[in-house]
Amino acid sequence: MFLAYFLQTGQEYFNVANLYKEVFMKVGIPKGLLYENYQPFFHTFFEELGAELIVSPDTNKDILDKGVKYCVDEACLPVKVFHGHVASIKDKCDLIVIPRIMQLRKREFICPKFCGLPEMVISSIPEMPDTTLEPIYAASNEKLFQWAKVTGKQVTNNRSRIQKAFEAAVENQANHKMGFDDRDTKLKVALSGHPYNIYDNYLNMNLIRKLKKLGVGVVTEEFIDDEIKDRETSKLYKKPFWSFARNNYAFTSHAASKGIVNGIIYISSFACGIDSVVIDLVQHNIGDFPLLVLKIDEHTGEAGLDTRIEAFVDMLERRSS
Amino acid sequence: MKITFPHMGNVYFAAKALFDDLGVEYVIPPLTSKGSLEIGSLHSGEEICLPFKIMIGNYMQAIEQGADTVLITGSCGPCRFGEYCELQMNLLNNLGHNLDFIVIDSPGDIGVKELIRRLGKISTGSEYNRLQKFKALLNAVKVVNLIDEVEAKARYLAGFEANRGQCKKILIECKQEAIKCNSGKSMIEILNHYLDKLNQVPIDQRKEPIKIAIIGEIYTVIEPFSNLYIEDKLMDYGISTKRMLTPSWWLKNLVLSPMNMNQLDIKKKSKEYLPMMIGGHARECIGEAVLAYEEGFDGAIQIFPMGCMPEIVSKAILPKISKDKDFPIMTLVVDEMTGEAGYVTRIEAFVDLLERRKDNVLSRC
Repeated sequence: MFLAYFLQTGQEYFNVANLYKEVFMKVGIPKGLLYENYQPFFHTFFEELGAELIVSPDTNKDILDKGVKYCVDEACLPVKVFHGHVASIKDKCDLIVIPRIMQLRKREFICPKFCGLPEMVISSIPEMPDTTLEPIYAASNEKLFQWAKVTGKQVTNNRSRIQKAFEAAVENQANHKMGFDDRDTKLKVALSGHPYNIYDNYLNMNLIRKLKKLGVGVVTEEFIDDEIKDRETSKLYKKPFWSFARNNYAFTSHAASKGIVNGIIYISSFACGIDSVVIDLVQHNIGDFPLLVLKIDEHTGEAGLDTRIEAFVDMLERRSS
Repeated sequence: MKITFPHMGNVYFAAKALFDDLGVEYVIPPLTSKGSLEIGSLHSGEEICLPFKIMIGNYMQAIEQGADTVLITGSCGPCRFGEYCELQMNLLNNLGHNLDFIVIDSPGDIGVKELIRRLGKISTGSEYNRLQKFKALLNAVKVVNLIDEVEAKARYLAGFEANRGQCKKILIECKQEAIKCNSGKSMIEILNHYLDKLNQVPIDQRKEPIKIAIIGEIYTVIEPFSNLYIEDKLMDYGISTKRMLTPSWWLKNLVLSPMNMNQLDIKKKSKEYLPMMIGGHARECIGEAVLAYEEGFDGAIQIFPMGCMPEIVSKAILPKISKDKDFPIMTLVVDEMTGEAGYVTRIEAFVDLLERRKDNVLSRC
């Protein structure tokens, strides 16, 4: 019996496939959706596990075209672009990380498309390699570790290594700072919307650079803390149950009522369900405070966007002088 | 206090029975029509989904008849429906109507006490004691179960009936008679009577009709106006249809979900394609498609409003099921701009396809 046990564990150790898995595993990370926000976590986690990382390039025309080709027509632009990122690296790696982010805070959600993202991608893109399927509940570290345990197993069988990689990843993520805070410029706008629209410079056609060129400072929601968000959202009849709805509503409400900025630019992708609600709430809340809603989709012409931004900035200048 | 509520298929029968038995004043908004949709889309935000616009139309028409309190259910799932109450309150306030909203939300988010307080608000105008109120509720549940049963039976038998159009006639008559009742008890009697009548409809045993399952977003499949009366159209073609999502199903699901006993078969069937609950009724849609295939249906039609987030996910998955199982599935996206002619052409083409697959183009004759 002892011998049998020994043989069995021995087999596991010398399994060629496992060995291959540990040495040559290539993990693909698509640069779409919330990549910017959680880049340190995913990078550190898979690097510490010893995998080789294949990261898709920044969004470009080719990726957008691929996304439009594969993705279901009704989906919003960021989801299409995510499909494009996956398609661009699918032939180069053994495992693709498709984060199924269910929860970032307790009793809050993200868009339903995030919850079904792996299924959408697998059903739409042919000849897919293995993908991560485990849901991510990031409300607490214990719950997040559940994801790490299952996903780590797809790369290595070494449990202590997974534990260490997870701890390093969480630590790195905690040091990750993003966002813009130009509160000291004369003319400034609050840039609001989903992070994947704000930080993907191809999708928003370099909006931030364009604003800076016009001499306008940009403030994003990262600089207000949770207490203010709770205070602002408690004024609503119903607590918003989407994390990004809460962030954007609280941020715009705070920025407008305290006069931190001269105007608000809300960047939203066409047919975004969450934005259709949030923009309505924001408009109702801020009254006649200047608000520009920029809709982006795969056909957005750059000239039209420029004109709208310039007109908005002109208006802000005239109001402030 | 005059209570009103948005339409959703046959819910108004149960609501009428409930309010009649409670002795509460109420207004049933006129059945959803083009007029209500026009009013709704005039006032609502541009990108919000179709059910929202239709509901606003319902409220406005009910307000004209003197309603001052709105009763709706809420949800705190990731779908937009949960935010409806807030947006609708703001919208109606801006239009100068000061309505009271009673929102029935899950106790996990608002607390059990608050839920009981809100439920109590419904029956404040009632003079009856608790036992009678409870009885009224039971009757309403019975009514919604019965009317859904009558409807499902009529729709399914439409393909088998010996005298063309008989089932549809009975269904229409049943609804006309039932809404005339003044108490839950008499409505139950009427519904039972028509259920018997349907059971006696002569059946042509040789017929092998085309069978289609209607799947998709819950509001657009249940509210006949929003899907341009697709079930009536298919009935006229002599096609049997089945739809699992009904108000009574929703009620049963709601009661069973805290124990995790709800829709066990759907969970099992959808596991291969969508193992998670992602909000809305996307998992139900996937599970129903698989179930319809296994039950020997010829095809399925998915319906959802433009921009519906959960159903976009299921739309991405359905082609895979269709391919794996060689099972035709058509998707119809509806919004306030849907033109009827194009819509009918697509349905007819789909039916033609199913007939040809069966090698029996005379199945409807």
